[in-house]
Amino acid sequence: MIGMSAVEWLEPRSLEEALDLRARYGEDATVVAGGTFLGILMNQGFLRPVRLLALRGVLDLDSINQENEGLVLGAMATHRVVERSGMVREGWPALAHAFSVVASPRVRNQATVGGVLADADYASDPPAMLAALDARVVVAGSGGRREIPVADFILDHYTTSLEEDELVVEVRVPGRARRAVYRKFRSRSSEDRPCVSVAAAEVGGGLRVVVGAVAGRPQYFPEACALAESGRTEPDLADEIARRYAEAIEPISDARGSARYRRRVVAVEVRRALEDLYRE
Amino acid sequence: MKVPLVVNGERVAVEARPDEMLLGVLRREFGLLSVRETCGIGVCGACTVLVDGEPVSACLLLTPLAAGRDITTVESLGGDHPVQRAFVEAEAFQCGYCTPGMILTAKRLLEEMPEPSEEEIKTYLGGNLCRCGCYVKIIEAVKLAAAESYPLREVSGT
Ligand code: FES
Ligand code: FES
Repeated sequence: MIGMSAVEWLEPRSLEEALDLRARYGEDATVVAGGTFLGILMNQGFLRPVRLLALRGVLDLDSINQENEGLVLGAMATHRVVERSGMVREGWPALAHAFSVVASPRVRNQATVGGVLADADYASDPPAMLAALDARVVVAGSGGRREIPVADFILDHYTTSLEEDELVVEVRVPGRARRAVYRKFRSRSSEDRPCVSVAAAEVGGGLRVVVGAVAGRPQYFPEACALAESGRTEPDLADEIARRYAEAIEPISDARGSARYRRRVVAVEVRRALEDLYRE
Repeated sequence: MKVPLVVNGERVAVEARPDEMLLGVLRREFGLLSVRETCGIGVCGACTVLVDGEPVSACLLLTPLAAGRDITTVESLGGDHPVQRAFVEAEAFQCGYCTPGMILTAKRLLEEMPEPSEEEIKTYLGGNLCRCGCYVKIIEAVKLAAAESYPLREVSGT
């Protein structure tokens, strides 16, 4: 081990202490939530952290609460805890569903709410649903706290608007959506990430359709969604919104599907999501 | 660093690097060779262990994250566990490489859903791959174990 310096493990007990360490080390300390994404990067040799800042010991970061009609998911709540929470299933069933279709029970026992947002992997399930529900990410840093809509938090592939001294603390989902659905289209095996995912919700009277896994960030087109108020009716409405999404999105190509294939799937899946939504 | 672990009921403090995954520690320090590495990215389930009763990929679990938690590997089941008996009876393996992970995952599945449908079995075990392709027999084994009035355990809500 000569010449190899030891990796340092930091395990703060309070958020204050965690933020101090984050402010001190910034990118020189790799934040550890559940550790799934991190484990993949480390095992593949893409990342060799010199210092690990684990949040597991920070009190209360894993709670799930209801506050003024809204839902508050702690950053360290695991996917499995969210999907099985009576509160989430009862008030936000589509959200519970979006968490429940991620990979396998193994991954969901480890992966966290804060982690899936901070990693900003384009092909994760929960971000699109959270964005459709108009959820906000609450982050804390040296300058205090701020709230960022999920749709603006994720900027591009593995890129977020989180600053070097900030940590994700919780996610706030506004009062129960009147109707909400999440559709995951897989092109390979059952535990795979989506090729295309569509989340649709009626929030505060308006329609929000968000398409995931097709580009660097969740795709949301307010103008197309506004057609829901244009007086157009089903099935014409669903067709038209789906057509506009398929036109507006510039899909990526990867092992789960080419750009061309994805564009066609978007048209079909957005229509189906809206049909499901209006059937709710 | 010294990491206090509870492995198959035994409390031990092991020496591990903080960036080392639990998989290697279980094999090296405890000789638990039922925990196997294949993909190293959480996809295959050959490295499945139970952490506080829940299946987790040991290949993705940083050792310090397991500190103080209950780690169970198939070695502790003793060979006569209802799920193990069902796997033998259904001949739910060829090479046996995936079997420990399958058994641990099935154990937890049956605690959560004592009478799973075929669809539920497939979904729950979807993240455990069998290179020998014994899926038909594996599903049969899980059904068999379920039918054998598997002892119910209280499942906590969260
Ligand atoms: S080796 Fe851990 S899931 Fe494949
Ligand atoms: S029995 Fe050989 S991998 Fe499953």
